[in-house]
Amino acid sequence: MGHQFVLLISACIFCIGAVGFLIRKNPLVMFMSVELMLNSVNFLLVGYSNFLKSMDGQIFALMIMTVAAAEVVVGLAIILTIFRTRHDMDVDHINTLKG
Amino acid sequence: MFLYCWLILISPLTGFIVLSWMGDRVSRQQAAAIGCGTVGISFLVTLIALTELLLGEESSKGGVSTLYHWVTAGSFTLNLSILVDPLSVFMLLIVTGVGFVIHVYSVGYMEKDPEFNRFFSYLNFFIFSMALLVLAADFFFLIVGWAMVGLASYLLIGFWKEKTSAVLAARKAFVMNVIGDVGMVIAAFIIFENLGTLNFLDVFAAAKSTFRPNGDTILLITLLLLVGAFAKSAQMPLHTWLADAMEGPTPVSALIHAATMVTAGVYLVARCHVLFELAPFTMYLIATVGVITAIFAGSMAMVQYDIKRVIAYSTMSQLGFMFLAVGVGMYSIAMFHLMTHAFFKALLFLSAGSVIHGLNDEQDIRKMGGLRHSMPITHVTFLIGSLALAGFPLTSGFFSKEAIIINSYHADMGNIIFWALAILGAIMTGFYIFRIYFYAFAGQPRTDVHAHESPLVMIAPLCLLAFLSLTAGFGGGMVDDFLFNYFGTHMPHPDDLLFETIGLSAGLIGIVGAVVFYMTGKDRLEFAKQMLAPLHDLLLNKYYIDEIYDFLIVKPVRAIGIFLEKRAENLGIDFSVDQIGVQVREVSRLISFWQSGSVRSYALSMIVGVVTILTFVVFQ
Repeated sequence: MGHQFVLLISACIFCIGAVGFLIRKNPLVMFMSVELMLNSVNFLLVGYSNFLKSMDGQIFALMIMTVAAAEVVVGLAIILTIFRTRHDMDVDHINTLKG
Repeated sequence: MFLYCWLILISPLTGFIVLSWMGDRVSRQQAAAIGCGTVGISFLVTLIALTELLLGEESSKGGVSTLYHWVTAGSFTLNLSILVDPLSVFMLLIVTGVGFVIHVYSVGYMEKDPEFNRFFSYLNFFIFSMALLVLAADFFFLIVGWAMVGLASYLLIGFWKEKTSAVLAARKAFVMNVIGDVGMVIAAFIIFENLGTLNFLDVFAAAKSTFRPNGDTILLITLLLLVGAFAKSAQMPLHTWLADAMEGPTPVSALIHAATMVTAGVYLVARCHVLFELAPFTMYLIATVGVITAIFAGSMAMVQYDIKRVIAYSTMSQLGFMFLAVGVGMYSIAMFHLMTHAFFKALLFLSAGSVIHGLNDEQDIRKMGGLRHSMPITHVTFLIGSLALAGFPLTSGFFSKEAIIINSYHADMGNIIFWALAILGAIMTGFYIFRIYFYAFAGQPRTDVHAHESPLVMIAPLCLLAFLSLTAGFGGGMVDDFLFNYFGTHMPHPDDLLFETIGLSAGLIGIVGAVVFYMTGKDRLEFAKQMLAPLHDLLLNKYYIDEIYDFLIVKPVRAIGIFLEKRAENLGIDFSVDQIGVQVREVSRLISFWQSGSVRSYALSMIVGVVTILTFVVFQ
């Protein structure tokens, strides 16, 4: 076991996130799925950092969290604005940007 | 020295800017005051310059006044400078003096025109441009002024823009003048290439040592300059615009198309006489074209019925005499004739304008008649102008034209053919001008229109010009002495009693001819018309020159244009440009199918893509 276990857990979480992003229609839930995917990568980085006795992975994990936080701020603001104007939280209806 | 001469330029320029800026916000009285006042100031400043040239010991040759150094590019330098010398001051006296008189006249003539203010702003613009042309100290500003008087002429011919014929005439004049401008510009390029400078004084100083007499370069330069001179002065074969230019208001015809602008060609040759003397062939050509134009235009003037057209052809004819004079090297005589011509031709035009004004815009001489009773003052001034034009003894035209005719034989470059043709031209002059005089003023009125004498503001300029037309001839010696400082030669006075008598009688023969046909003998006139019917038709149709130009140039060019519009423009350029747009739109419509706007389908395609790429990378 050992690092295969970390890989397996991480892959599972990533797939849950990806599938969740594809099948859910509520943008908030979709956001949470995105966070899942990001954090699965974080998990992988931290786990391997432990195995390889190198701090690089943990530093990257911290950076990813920072970027994710910043991204959430923007994303939530957009979602909030869309909700205020349309009173509708179904992403399939938000398709006015089509060509 | 001569710094104050910039006022001659600045004053009408200010008038032009103020009048065109203010438009109808200034009243007519104010516009008239600004228009006339600024030109009056220019005239006064010119008089000051004249006294300085006459009285100053060391300044009698004039000088250059440089305002500032404008351009330096390599070896080329250009100063904002004017050349104040006897020739330019002499021209300026005519331009601003006659210009001022005509401005005053225009106040009366244009009184009822709704666009009075615009007219005066154009007139001021013309005076500024003409002063720039005359005062230019180098070929650069000469060409600038040259083109700007062409523009002013265009604007003023087409002043009544609701008249189609006026607009067409303006366009014709502009195109003809631009042909001349191109010639001048190329000439300036060649001068600069050979001498490295455009400054008049430097060019003339260096010309003798640089150019071989009758060499290719100097011939090319002078011939190209001549294209400009002939176009501006309406000489053969670029003459057709001047008669059409009579569509403009009559003061414009008097100012631009008789007294000042059209004489610019003569001025150019006189100004550059150093260059022209190096090319005797060109000089011979000038004299030939001049004398041919003199009889050619004179013959057309003999049969036309529009009073202004007759005087316009007469202007071309007199310009031909001036070119004859410069062509045989008699520059100061040409300038003298230029001056007297400016007086009596402006007088004739303004008198004709007074007649037209009095008859409610009637220009056809067949509908005039008996005006000596209803317009006594105009009658006298027109008679004086006619006598001066015909060269009646002791009027101004007599002295100047007599000098040209006699010198066309006696000058070094003259010959008997020039003389004979000039005599013929002089006979025609007397004939055609008295023809319209008899038509308009003698006999009985031919229509019911009740003619009335013009107001004082029009009559006063007429009287002043009539006085000058009578007396200016006695100033020949003064003109000669004054211009000696530029040309370096005096007017010759050949003593040849026989030729002088023939020259003197030429104008009188013409007058007698007009009396025979138009005063006493109606039958003789009809008989002559029938005898010479083909000739009469030829002259009445202006030798079909317009039709020939139309056939040779206008029609082919238009046909090429229509052909290119149909083929190249519609099928080539338009089609390809349209197709680029159409095809891009089609392709985008196909691609835009992918842009569904649905976030989840984007996400799916992204994941599918990533998985595909990873599969490739991993299992390769």
